[in-house]
Amino acid sequence: MSQTPAHLRTPLGRVRFLGSARSGVTDSWLMRLTSFALLPLSIAFVWIILDLVNRDYNGVRAELSYPLPVILLLAFVVAGIVHMEIGMRSIIVDYLGGHARGWALLANTCFSALLALACIYATLRLAFT
Amino acid sequence: MATSVPSRTRPRPLSPHLSIYRVTVTMAMSIAHRITGAALYAGVLLLAWFLIAASSDAAGFGAFSAFIGSLLGQLILFGFTWALFHHLLGGIRHFVWDEGYCMDAPLREQLAWATLIGGITLTIVVWAIAYVVR
Repeated sequence: MSQTPAHLRTPLGRVRFLGSARSGVTDSWLMRLTSFALLPLSIAFVWIILDLVNRDYNGVRAELSYPLPVILLLAFVVAGIVHMEIGMRSIIVDYLGGHARGWALLANTCFSALLALACIYATLRLAFT
Repeated sequence: MATSVPSRTRPRPLSPHLSIYRVTVTMAMSIAHRITGAALYAGVLLLAWFLIAASSDAAGFGAFSAFIGSLLGQLILFGFTWALFHHLLGGIRHFVWDEGYCMDAPLREQLAWATLIGGITLTIVVWAIAYVVR
């Protein structure tokens, strides 16, 4: 981004990401958005899990074949994992520097993405098989 | 190569923290918010295991069931429940502060205590319901 000669860059291109917030506003907004989403979704999640505690394998399968718990679980997983990825990223940049920071950021995003895919796939498989 | 980004010449300033200020309830709850957040991060692995186990077969689900029903599993689940409620109430507290309310000394301290007491209370209520249902 900063490697191109200055004369090849537009005035906007020269100043973008140099403000105090850089890309932080996006993260801050996404964090607040997911926080709001997670408030009712967490309560729904606890409700769903409470409904599952006394069920065996077939009972759990039966319950998680209905649309409502599946949709709420998917929403909880997506909002929750976006929220936790940004949260862990801010923890990493607070406490780590240099190469460790780079590797940790890489691991955080890969881990979160993989976890999200796993949860979404498993939930959809529960719903459709 | 020409660059338009000024290079950093001195280290970024750090705000004084643990060794400077005495522990207050708002500080403790701020630390707890971050710790519970990190704990929930790890806790999502448990949710992923549950979903994968339930979507695979009875044997896979049985392994998950055995773990979550064990003493260790129940302790982890109890901790997860508390972390979830504590972090959730902490988030509401942050929203109240972001909107500019409850910033003064007695109110912000009460809000911090409310987070702690509310989180513990909700955890106990949910576990009481779980054991009554069971």
